Amino acid sequence: MTTWILKLAQRLLLLAALAVVGGLMCATMVRFAPGFGVDERELDPRLSQASLQAIRQEHQLGKGLLAYYGSYLSGLVRGDFGTSAFLERPVGELLKERAPFTIRAVLLGLLTAWVTASALALLTVRFPSWMLDSSATAFTGFLIALPAAVVALLCVFLRLPVFVGIALVTVPKLFRYQHNILAQASAQPFVLAAQARGVSRNRILFRHVIPVSWHPLAALLGVSASLAFGAAIPLEALSDSPGVGQLAWQAALNRDLPLLTSITLFVTLLTVAINSFASATHQERS
Amino acid sequence: MSGPRLLRVVCYSVLSAVFAAGLFAEVITHYSYASQFREVPNAAPSAMHLLGTDSLGRDLFTRVVYGTRVSLLLAPAAALLATAIAGILGGIAGLRGGWTERTILAFADLSLALPLLFVLVALRALLPLDVSPILSVIATFLTLGLLGWPSSLRVVWAAARRLRESDHFLFATALGYSKTRLLLRQVIPNLRPILFALFWISIPLFVLTEATLSMLGLGVMEPLPSWGNLLRGCEDFSAMAANPWRLVPLFVLIVTVICFQYILPTSGESA
Repeated sequence: MTTWILKLAQRLLLLAALAVVGGLMCATMVRFAPGFGVDERELDPRLSQASLQAIRQEHQLGKGLLAYYGSYLSGLVRGDFGTSAFLERPVGELLKERAPFTIRAVLLGLLTAWVTASALALLTVRFPSWMLDSSATAFTGFLIALPAAVVALLCVFLRLPVFVGIALVTVPKLFRYQHNILAQASAQPFVLAAQARGVSRNRILFRHVIPVSWHPLAALLGVSASLAFGAAIPLEALSDSPGVGQLAWQAALNRDLPLLTSITLFVTLLTVAINSFASATHQERS
Repeated sequence: MSGPRLLRVVCYSVLSAVFAAGLFAEVITHYSYASQFREVPNAAPSAMHLLGTDSLGRDLFTRVVYGTRVSLLLAPAAALLATAIAGILGGIAGLRGGWTERTILAFADLSLALPLLFVLVALRALLPLDVSPILSVIATFLTLGLLGWPSSLRVVWAAARRLRESDHFLFATALGYSKTRLLLRQVIPNLRPILFALFWISIPLFVLTEATLSMLGLGVMEPLPSWGNLLRGCEDFSAMAANPWRLVPLFVLIVTVICFQYILPTSGESA
């Protein structure tokens, strides 16, 4: 129990460290981006010197780097992610609006991917044959060879929801990892011993192979979450889905760095949280 | 020749042909990738234009061949950079141990937690959108190389650690081998197969990531062609249905990535 609490504390510490390091990296990117603090309103000849000064102060140009980091991080702590330059709205508000779409699509996509990949991996391990193995490898090999943006276009063409696209991007890699883990466990001496004793194949798979493979399989949850969030950008951008991925793409095209870096930080923290959950789950079971 | 061996020979041949096409683009086609034939935009394949022309009247075959050069010659360069970073950091972590190992692994874990595409998009957005095409190519592949190392690092670290604990390494240390000799005679020969495998694995990954970035308008900029920005036209489904030969860049990309999958060293070979 104590070890488990210690591990959880370690994970939370990692999350906090990531938030600070990520926040500082974001602040650096925003601060040193070309054109930082330059406002096109400054070109308006009708504005007085006082108005220009007010605009410059709005961009915190007068502050030193450390003060800028300080105000950025304290803003993050208060949930203030800054203001989007191109949408002219608070980033926190935009994330609150868009995140549910992406989180729902990613969760549904992950669920579909896990069910499909697990079924395929179990099938190939339970009924080992050259034909089945080659077919599964060829199918997943073809899917791996498709760029995520092409999968997104296929989804648009076939009028499939975004989560199907996320599943299509995640399934092949997930299947290959799962298949390797299960195949390695199936080749262990205790499995051979069980086979020699005449234990049925189903019993060997469900009572011996899967329990042994549980830890590495659970660790895949974090990997698959990272893959799924990555796929969200092209899928949402090309299928016009109003999620965080589309927002990141729009922010990149409009060079809205405060928005883009906040989205990256938000998605990173979400991925690490899922990773921590996966680690905590399999550590608790162990 | 056995089935898998034959398949690998076929894949090697296809990849060699594709690489050669990219390398000797000037010999294969005498047009420039930016030349416009304004009198024949959206032309069908003909003897003059093997794959027809695009909406700006540029020869599609020429653009595919030059796009192959950009995608297939720069992806290995990015893979080399990523593998070199992973090799150096992973090797140091595995061989030195202690706080150096812990620091490098913690840094790698932090980097692994970053969703690659989000970070790539954020870094790419630091450059102005009207950046020169050459700079956009360099920036895209340099970013891929600089961000693509963390997953490889873990593999190198595990191998280096095994090497540090091996009897022959201990024996060489006990014999008083200098650090340079240990590096040249023990470390590099033992880690070379793993680094080689990681290098090959990274190439198709970077080709695919570049394709996605360029399709989103955040990778290689026009008029320089790459497989990714050649696929931008795929968004127009009716044009694609009417001119299916425009899918050739996608076909070349898929075949190349599949060939890479089949020639990748197996775990037995890389161990």
